[in-house]
Amino acid sequence: MSRLHYIRPETLAEALDHLDRHGSRNRILAGGTDLVVDLRNGDARPEFILDVSRLHELKGIDVTPEGVSVGAGVTLSEIQSSDVLERHAPALRKCSFTFASRQVRNVATIGGNVAHCSPCGDTVPPLVIHEARAVLASRRGLREVLVEDIASGPYACSLPPDELILRFILKPAADVTFADFQKIGRRRELVIARINAAAMARQEPDGRLSFFRFSLGSCTPTPHRMPEVESCLDGRVPTAELVWEAGRLLAERTIAITGRRPSTIYKEAAIHGLLVRMLHPLVTS
Amino acid sequence: MTGAHQAIGKSIERVGAREKVTGRARYSADIELGAPLVLKALRSGRPHAEILAINTEKALRIKGVAAVFTAMDIPGKNLTGIILKDQPILMGDKVRSIADPVALVAAETETTAEQALKAIEVDYRDLPPVFDPEKAMAEDAPKVHAKGNVMVSRTIRRGDVGSAFTRCKSIIEKTYRTTFIEHNTIEPDAGAGFVDSDGTLVIYASTQNPHYDHKDVVTLLGLADEKVRIIQAATGGGFGSKLDLNVQGFIGLALYHLRRPVRYVYTREEAYLGTAKRHPLSMRMKTGADENGRLLAMQATIICDTGAYASYGPAVANRAPVHATGPYAIENVDIRSYGVYTNNPFCGAMRGFGTPQIAFAHESQIDLHALDLGLDPLAMRMLNAHRVGSTTATGQVFSASVGIGDCLRAIQPHYDEARKGWTAAPAAPYKKRGVGIGAMWYGIGNTGVQNPSTARVEMDRDGSVTLFTGCADIGQGSSTVLSQIAAEILGLAPQAVRLVTADTKFTTNAGATSASRQTYISGNAVKQAAEQLADVLKTEAMNKLRVAKSALMFDGGCALVIGQPDQCVSFAELAKRIKSKGASLSWQGYFDPETVPLDPQTGQGVPYATYAFAAQLALVTVDVLTGEVAVERVVAAHDVGKAIHPESVIGQICGGVAMGLGFALMEEFEPGKTLSMKDYHIPTCADMPEVVPIIVESPEPSGPFGAKGVGEPALIPTAPAILNAIADALGVRLYALPANLERVLAASIAAGHFKPAP
Ligand SMILES: Cc1cc2nc3c(=O)[nH]c(=O)nc-3n(C[C@H](O)[C@H](O)[C@H](O)COP(=O)(O)OP(=O)(O)OC[C@H]3O[C@@H](n4cnc5c(N)ncnc54)[C@H](O)[C@@H]3O)c2cc1C
Repeated sequence: MSRLHYIRPETLAEALDHLDRHGSRNRILAGGTDLVVDLRNGDARPEFILDVSRLHELKGIDVTPEGVSVGAGVTLSEIQSSDVLERHAPALRKCSFTFASRQVRNVATIGGNVAHCSPCGDTVPPLVIHEARAVLASRRGLREVLVEDIASGPYACSLPPDELILRFILKPAADVTFADFQKIGRRRELVIARINAAAMARQEPDGRLSFFRFSLGSCTPTPHRMPEVESCLDGRVPTAELVWEAGRLLAERTIAITGRRPSTIYKEAAIHGLLVRMLHPLVTS
Repeated sequence: MTGAHQAIGKSIERVGAREKVTGRARYSADIELGAPLVLKALRSGRPHAEILAINTEKALRIKGVAAVFTAMDIPGKNLTGIILKDQPILMGDKVRSIADPVALVAAETETTAEQALKAIEVDYRDLPPVFDPEKAMAEDAPKVHAKGNVMVSRTIRRGDVGSAFTRCKSIIEKTYRTTFIEHNTIEPDAGAGFVDSDGTLVIYASTQNPHYDHKDVVTLLGLADEKVRIIQAATGGGFGSKLDLNVQGFIGLALYHLRRPVRYVYTREEAYLGTAKRHPLSMRMKTGADENGRLLAMQATIICDTGAYASYGPAVANRAPVHATGPYAIENVDIRSYGVYTNNPFCGAMRGFGTPQIAFAHESQIDLHALDLGLDPLAMRMLNAHRVGSTTATGQVFSASVGIGDCLRAIQPHYDEARKGWTAAPAAPYKKRGVGIGAMWYGIGNTGVQNPSTARVEMDRDGSVTLFTGCADIGQGSSTVLSQIAAEILGLAPQAVRLVTADTKFTTNAGATSASRQTYISGNAVKQAAEQLADVLKTEAMNKLRVAKSALMFDGGCALVIGQPDQCVSFAELAKRIKSKGASLSWQGYFDPETVPLDPQTGQGVPYATYAFAAQLALVTVDVLTGEVAVERVVAAHDVGKAIHPESVIGQICGGVAMGLGFALMEEFEPGKTLSMKDYHIPTCADMPEVVPIIVESPEPSGPFGAKGVGEPALIPTAPAILNAIADALGVRLYALPANLERVLAASIAAGHFKPAP
């Protein structure tokens, strides 16, 4: 058995040098709540572990001219207690309340959640509705990709091994009147989502939705926006019937992607139901 | 005896609590031994196969591998099991489940042991497996054991069901099903051992029954009794799963051959794979009631899947039918129960021995009758509840301590309030509220068989008292309760009673920590031993103080004359006087509850000397669009006879509700698929309702200070109450556990609730 080398750089430059040289034989460690599990069960067999938890470039939640910036190393507990996120990305903050357990939230990071590429990652639907971009760094320089495009499939990360996620930039949601995250699991806490979803809307005084974003997680190989559902509601008055119809459409579009499997019997109705429940506060008769 | 107790009924600091919260308690994995070898078992991975050959050569060539044992290395009798000896610790000729061990490795490190497991070559010839117990009962089914697949059966017959059903206004016939359940003790199984200077094999283990372990280990190794010593290490929960020989036999075998310290600590995955599960039951139940709601007849067929081995399966297959009526008097019964072998993982004891499963059936039936007859479910329970003088299905007539009526009355105000204030109030959109009741009875101790306990109380020359008990405290608090009982009799502070527990070298057999029996049975044994000591002390004090025995009392380590506390003599002085006369200061207590074995044909008899009773009320909210269920509140009234340590009773009730909630809503073990806690859900604190525990005390004349038991009863009514509440919310009932997201949403759709809000 080959030895595992643990490296904890003090500077970003050191980290990027290491990734440049050993990226393909390396795994990045942030909170370790996914990686340690993968190491134990043999899904990950790196020669090097690069601990990025000390890098200040990965920290902090700030409002910047480009949008809300959330460092990749920000923990779920930090997200939970962030007033900035409560104001500018409430759905993202809300997802932290039912994320794992307090102990896990204290170390688990948003960067790790995105890079792990689980279809069930709870931060992903909230990031997606903000059209979030990840800022990536390597010795080759900086670039940006849409969070939606990072996973190429379940647990398959499309980022090259020499790249590190520095932070995420969320489009600020101007004049949004409604934002929500919901999750269905087999228990209330410490559970991987069976279904999760995030939505954001601006409702005009006449009841009409002048802006609507929706993303579903855990049901498709990678979470993404649902354009058909968005356009079904965008610009319209969400009556109980219309919301019901949107739920039905969501289930139909999801099954069109996944095909029918044993779990579809539950999911078809529950996806439909979840959207209806989530958007109920918007319903105008 | 006066009503005022000084030790009984007080929630004193629990024995061992400080060690546990400060991390000083030593669990099996913490036992320090000089350079122990690590043990690991190779498990078959196939459900049913003949073993043609086992080749261990390659494994033995790995550096750091000390030995690889197979069935051929077992010097004694390679068959274990507390009730039926049918389980080899290492399989010789065939494997009957994917968990069956075929070889045991002893190596210097975990990694080397793992490598060695991979290097062992086993040739198998697969045999057709059978997983469905009903199919396993067919004549032509593959035989799991040569003697046939029906391990045990039990009939309970009384009255005439045929004619009784003709007098019923309401007849309900349904089939209920439950699944495999994993215990999830916080500490996975573990043990460690060494060979003492006199050649004794000393084995520390996480166990619920050190004396049973001892008996099976000496038989396995063909050794004399004194050559094996089992010591219970601090144990992080059992719930029945640590009643079986899990690591103890492996440790004994390795010590026998290697004479070096060894340890075996299961990973969570191995505890999931290799230890007992709760039996899945299928229960076909037909009951009838007259127009007033009085239950007249019950016919039931119960099939218990015991998997590959008996373990405590016979106890489950016997207890489930005895408890099938629930805490209700039904004159005419015809109940059959079968314990059946399959190639599933073996099932054993788990908190309640089949009673949690059967309570789901009888409590659903009674609600169905109430609905059918337009009666209130609580009133219907009250009408049928056992009382002093009523007769059980086995023909036992209650003479005292029947607290079910009191329990039902205790939840009544909460029930009325819930019906008026809570269910009637408008719920959030797409949510439905429901209220449900679950009731239960539970016979304390083993079913119609001998079930004794022993204890010894000794006084030293300095007047100090030591209690020796074989009883394993696995976290439920028996050490505390037993020291309270001894202290009460001897007028001491419980903390002043020194304890020696669960070490086969120094303590005698107290039986298993199971069947909610330790407070009642071992409590009585301790009480008897302490009373004998008290009697010699009083006799001696009488001689010294020259007053009648009845004028004496104990306080703070002295015997004194009641009302004249200056007239006293210390225990130390009494001890010296007694000793000098050559009399004994060491007294053995013994208690075996009075039972009458069940008749093999009719099941008539007195299976238990006493029963605990309980009723719980659950308030739930169901999301009709997603199938999510939130349990908001559980009111739990439990008749424990007498609460020796009330906080421990409350702890058992709250923990029982948590476990019952898991059983009701989320727990499900799928053999071969469920590998660890990552694919098995137990409730977290976020899932817990507000629990309102109510202690009901209907004293048991034969119990120590009136006490019965509560360990298992705590969980039994919870799942029925929750399931009844879900049915109340949706208007559609579930007949299979768990009531998971899929089943609840399907029921909501079937009930027509899945539609746009008006
Ligand atoms: C008990 C438990 C409960 C959980 N519950 C939830 C839950 O409710 N919801 C949920 O979504 N997840 C849950 N998870 C999964 C996990 O906690 C999350 O995915 C978490 O966000 C991972 O973050 P981390 O910092 O621990 O990542 P790590 O384990 O450190 O890393 C995860 C992956 O991301 C890569 N990585 C980390 N940081 C970077 C970076 N800056 N740039 C590039 N790659 C990077 C790593 O190389 C690794 O492949 C749970 C896990 C456990 C053990």
